[in-house]
Amino acid sequence: MRGVTRSLALLFAVFVGACAGAAPGSPSQAPSLPASTTATATPSATPLIVLDDAGRSVTFVTTPKRIVSSAPSDTELAFALGLGDEVVAVDKFSNYPPEAKSKPSIGSYIDPDLESIVGANPDLVLVTGVHLAKLVPALEARGIPALVLDARDIEGVYLDLLLLARITGHEDRATALVDQLRGRVAKVEQAVAGAQPVRTFVELDPTLFTAGPGSFLDDLIRRAGGINIAAGATTAYPQLSAEEVVRANPEVIILTDEVTGVSPAAVRARQGWSQVSAVANDRIAILDPDIGARPGPRIVDALEQIAHILHPDRVP
Amino acid sequence: MSVWALSRARARPAGHRTLAAGTALGLLLLSSVVLAVGFGRVAISPADQLTIIVDRLGGRPASIDPRIASILLDIRLPRVVLAAVTGAALAAAGAALQGLFRNPLADPYLVGVSSGASLGAVLTLTLGLSPVLYAAGAVQAAAFIGALVAVGLAMLFAQAGGRTSVPSLLLAGIAVAALGGAVTSYLLFFHGERIFAAFAWLLGGFNASDWPLVARVSLPAAVGLAGLVALGPSLDLLQLDEEAARARGLRVEAAKVATVGLASLVTAAAVSAAGLIAFVGLVAPHVVRLLVGPEHRRLLVLSAIGGAAFLVVADLVARVALSEGDLPVGVVTAAVGGPFFLALLWSRRGRLG
Repeated sequence: MRGVTRSLALLFAVFVGACAGAAPGSPSQAPSLPASTTATATPSATPLIVLDDAGRSVTFVTTPKRIVSSAPSDTELAFALGLGDEVVAVDKFSNYPPEAKSKPSIGSYIDPDLESIVGANPDLVLVTGVHLAKLVPALEARGIPALVLDARDIEGVYLDLLLLARITGHEDRATALVDQLRGRVAKVEQAVAGAQPVRTFVELDPTLFTAGPGSFLDDLIRRAGGINIAAGATTAYPQLSAEEVVRANPEVIILTDEVTGVSPAAVRARQGWSQVSAVANDRIAILDPDIGARPGPRIVDALEQIAHILHPDRVP
Repeated sequence: MSVWALSRARARPAGHRTLAAGTALGLLLLSSVVLAVGFGRVAISPADQLTIIVDRLGGRPASIDPRIASILLDIRLPRVVLAAVTGAALAAAGAALQGLFRNPLADPYLVGVSSGASLGAVLTLTLGLSPVLYAAGAVQAAAFIGALVAVGLAMLFAQAGGRTSVPSLLLAGIAVAALGGAVTSYLLFFHGERIFAAFAWLLGGFNASDWPLVARVSLPAAVGLAGLVALGPSLDLLQLDEEAARARGLRVEAAKVATVGLASLVTAAAVSAAGLIAFVGLVAPHVVRLLVGPEHRRLLVLSAIGGAAFLVVADLVARVALSEGDLPVGVVTAAVGGPFFLALLWSRRGRLG
């Protein structure tokens, strides 16, 4: 057991870098469950029934006015829709936008404190797939609506914005925001269209965990005109050996593990890496993992940054 | 010599000493429960708490804000009770296994329970079940079953000629734990995106406990505890070598199997609800043994009370130590238990041989 605990601690350190506050882990049956509504919203009387990203149906009799967010991505979605005043408490990893940090805390995103949540008297608790096993049943038992927002790609983020807006009665805001985000994505995709794809390695941690198929970063690299060297992996967060990285010869290396002390200089100093194209041509960049892995609206910021890293001539 | 043997040598406390220790531990448990119910993330004044409890006992609708009443009675109280039940279960299981293995370092997780429970829980958490199954307690059920399967396997492999070899059981337990740990690590490694849920479970804790969970845990825990206490005299006899115990009329095989089975039952119940909480099962029996000696019936009863009080206080600290959110309770038990155990060893170092 101690071995397991130790490897867990290690893996935790890995993924806290990659997804701190990301919302991984909704049911695996479908890669991306559409966050669609199944009933029409009327001003009051008729309850609004929606399907969340875990495929649960959630009923709202009144428009929520007191929102608790259990994950940084949920917090970013709510604030992006201008719901900052309605948000009454957030998990303590919620660090964006800065106003979120002054909200009362419900504790760790991993296991938020039920007493603090109920004490905040919410009429909507935003959660992620991580919370399905424990927090969601506890909230359901108390009749507090819990909404799983767990996008797997950019389209999923749009759907989450529209869903949350529908529930809170701000569909106009969501439509405008999603249009704007779509426009920015389209601009990037047009800019890199036809460019020679750039072989890219994303380093999530110093032991070479990376983003594979099904992860946000994999999707972003493709859209930004790159080829993820881990695109052929079988899991969303595979670990590569140094040999594999060197053999794949990435033209760009993106570091999201700066927080663990990895720097471009440290990568250049690695033995055996000097012949790697990205090292030889000094194309090693740093990306804030909060932006690149959280299924929130800033995912478009990440796309623009990655596109600039891969194609600085086309994306200024 | 060992701490265990040492305390055995210091046995023969007078009856009044047991009574005094029992009273003290009982009062400790009572006061820790009162304290733990009194404090939490949401401040509720003692007067309001009293009103809420009196209302509920009297079957009246709450005269205080019903939400506050619900926080006290349906969130905080079951949490405190579950901590007590879990502490009692782990401490008694630890005492029984230390006795059976005649080893002061035995703890409830020794024969594969923790490994099996972890595998069960992590399996359900990485598979990504439907929300309905999670809400129905699939994780806890899988942890419970996993724990019992692991112990069952260890016992199966420790059989030789109709007898259970205690050293073989220890080794089989280590092997089963290693195997379970390997599978658990594999699952975590290839489901990195689900690591947070699994990590939270493995850290252990009582957040989001409710009364149905308390009921599900308490039943097997109570059955197991009663069984272990009834086995007390058999455990005393097992301190002799097995031949001598047999000569005195003990059905040695039945006693060994029953001890491991019942200790595993209570541990599985505890672990399924609260995850892996370190040190309670190791430390509590030692402290009690120092107080009242090694006779198993009273050792088991008082260890259960002491373990309950310890875990209730540890969970209280976990709940209020930080300015926001919880500390994992396992961090508290290890942080308190580790130094305490070291201090105990240090103070007795001259007599440990």
